[in-house]
Amino acid sequence: MNKVVKEHNSLNMNNGRKASKDTFLPVFSRTVDGTLRVVVLALILLFILFPMVCIALRSFAGPEGPTLGNYAEVFTKYRQNFVNSIVVGVATAILCTFFSVCTALFIYTKTGKLRLALMAVLLVSMVAPPFVSSLAYIQLYGRRGWITYRLLGLSLNPYNALGVICMQSISFAPMNALFLIGILSKTDSASLRAARDLGADPAHVLRDMLIPLIRPGIYVSLLLSFVRSLADFGTPVIIGGRFSTIASEIYLKIIGYADLEDASAMNMFLLLPSIGFFFLYRHLMTKTGGTADAQRGGQEGFDLKLLRCGGTGIAVSGAALLFFVMMILQYGCIFVSGFLKRKAGSYVFTTEFLQELFRYDLSTMVRSVVYALIVGFVGTFFAILFSYYTEWRKMRGRSFFDCLVTLPYMLPGTCFGIGYILAFNKEPLALMGTGIIVIANMIFKQLPTSTKLCTAALSQIPRAQEYAVRDLGGGRLSVLKDVILPGLRPAFFSSFSYNFSTAMTTAGAVIFLINPGKKLAVFKLFDAVSSGEYAIASLISTLIIIIVLVVEGIIYMFSMKGVKTNVS
Amino acid sequence: MYLEVQGLKKRFGNKNIVDDLSFSLDKGKLMCILGSSGCGKTTTLNMIGGFLKADGGRILLDGQDITDISPEERPVTTVFQAYALFPHMSVMQNVVYGLKFKKVPKQEAEERGRRYLEMVGMAEYADRPIQSLSGGQQQRVALARALITEPKLCLLDEPFSNLDAGLREKLRFELKRLQKELGMTMLFVTHDQEEAMILSDKMAVMEKGIFVQCDTPWNIYHNPASDFVRDFLKLDRLIFQEDGTMLKRITE
Repeated sequence: MNKVVKEHNSLNMNNGRKASKDTFLPVFSRTVDGTLRVVVLALILLFILFPMVCIALRSFAGPEGPTLGNYAEVFTKYRQNFVNSIVVGVATAILCTFFSVCTALFIYTKTGKLRLALMAVLLVSMVAPPFVSSLAYIQLYGRRGWITYRLLGLSLNPYNALGVICMQSISFAPMNALFLIGILSKTDSASLRAARDLGADPAHVLRDMLIPLIRPGIYVSLLLSFVRSLADFGTPVIIGGRFSTIASEIYLKIIGYADLEDASAMNMFLLLPSIGFFFLYRHLMTKTGGTADAQRGGQEGFDLKLLRCGGTGIAVSGAALLFFVMMILQYGCIFVSGFLKRKAGSYVFTTEFLQELFRYDLSTMVRSVVYALIVGFVGTFFAILFSYYTEWRKMRGRSFFDCLVTLPYMLPGTCFGIGYILAFNKEPLALMGTGIIVIANMIFKQLPTSTKLCTAALSQIPRAQEYAVRDLGGGRLSVLKDVILPGLRPAFFSSFSYNFSTAMTTAGAVIFLINPGKKLAVFKLFDAVSSGEYAIASLISTLIIIIVLVVEGIIYMFSMKGVKTNVS
Repeated sequence: MYLEVQGLKKRFGNKNIVDDLSFSLDKGKLMCILGSSGCGKTTTLNMIGGFLKADGGRILLDGQDITDISPEERPVTTVFQAYALFPHMSVMQNVVYGLKFKKVPKQEAEERGRRYLEMVGMAEYADRPIQSLSGGQQQRVALARALITEPKLCLLDEPFSNLDAGLREKLRFELKRLQKELGMTMLFVTHDQEEAMILSDKMAVMEKGIFVQCDTPWNIYHNPASDFVRDFLKLDRLIFQEDGTMLKRITE
């Protein structure tokens, strides 16, 4: 009765012409709906915006009120670090993008089994923990490196800027390459055929079509690599030697001296350009044809004989092959070196390290898996809710929140970590040292990608299906149950698998939040690498890779099952 | 004969998609291959265009064996169903793209481009980006782009099927006029009976990889080879003019 009156009233208020959509909802579910929406938005403000504001405020904090002193001081004190960061960032961006473009073109123009094998190498590197390239680098090219010392008889010092640049380029390249393949496979292969039809030889197809078509993607790759390089502290800490960047200095300031003022002020120098780049990035992404989804990419190729493409084609093939050789060497080295022991100048097979690892402490590995599963489920669920309200319901202020949610993608991990320290270290939000803050940090750092996956899936669902359900007598809940959730099924799997594997391998932000008593596998790995226990480090990396691959395999099987029964 | 196709074959798996197909076409004529989807008509076109390697048979064009020539060297151009224009180039850049490989100097290429754009009624759009054009406009540009290189043979793969009925009819007549004006030899694939009847100098009805009948629309109309042809073309609903061109279709 009450409901009817209410509906009647609201109909009258709208002059009976256009009833507000919500009037069709029963009171109870309307309350749930409203509460949920407020909670989602509040959490986003709390876990994304608030920490950023905290960094900004802290960096202005002086003994006598707000001051710019921290900036001036930091800038003079760490000038060399700024220069280093920028030099490394630019060099990495260029080198990494070069490799990414060549690899992407190389894979895109291959077909059949070779293509699958190459894609597999890229995908393994997506699930590999960080620092593995540095680890392999030291093993292969270090003072006693397998290649430089044993093979070539050289004793080189690998700890310098060049090493940092190379390692960053190699470890960032697979992600960029997958992104570019995503763009390439969305290009209309008919227009490539049209070009050949009009007389363009393979070299011209490459120069006139493929490269211009991915140009916005190239810019995005440059930006992303630059920002990731700025934010990467692991590589310079491990192989920088005396060469340090802002990120590695921030790491030392926090971990070594707990100096939050300097760290915050240095962070602002990372934060401001990142926010600038973020808007540039969003602009560029609209030019790549919307959401180029790396995970879906690479299904369709275009058969083009790269070697017949003149100088450009040969250069592309050469760079791509070099890249793959390095990747394969790198993973081969990781997998093997956990089982080798040096004995009287030669290597023998041993399970000694494996036993040591098991004796050691596997609780970190278990904790990593548990956290990753929680992040997988909660993060995906949150992303679904958020994209439901923004993309499907088109709520007000959605562009603001959409922007906010995408921000962590371009935010250096150090900023995101220190922001959390500052935001959640006192009552009523004293979360420091708990697992919650670590999990929350992972969820919100990964939210840009998981929401993008969900939003893309939602935008594929025809609006008319909702109208059909409503028309046939179903309410908004039926729409959710019968249209939206089934439509989001594939996105659920891809988002879960992204969230899980990233949570297993992420290091950037979380390292500042982790309680020393509750370490995660990645940090065990980081410790092992920094203290030179390469065999243990190799085993931890291998274990992480295997766990992630197994879980992804299980998810893949589940999602395939769904495809079979859901095919229409 | 200007275009001669002899014993063309294509298999996918153990299925004969195109099965020992032979036909010929005179210079300056337009031939339609008409068939339902999956009958092998697009496969045939792709082999003639050079995008698909034939499993057997030969294709002769103007006395030259083009069977094994790559698409960029074949004197054949294609107008695709989905236009396949280059999204990162302007209308003019699209149109003159093929001239680059004929070593036509830039200025002359521009002039020619303008002339062909005029022919298809798109001259005023020369500097527009491709995305700003409607479907019909895009297909006009695609047509100009295919014709400007003065190919010996122009292939059209259901070029109007993405357009609405009114526009389709309009473009059909424009195409016919252009084809006659330029004396262009064209091979046109379609599943639209009316389109085939109106455009063809010669038409082939294709089914399961072979031509069940290949003749002028007039002859097919008067002597359909089988009940299949009669039913497929819905011949009892067509009215022809005295000169043999189709007048209209009776709609209920």
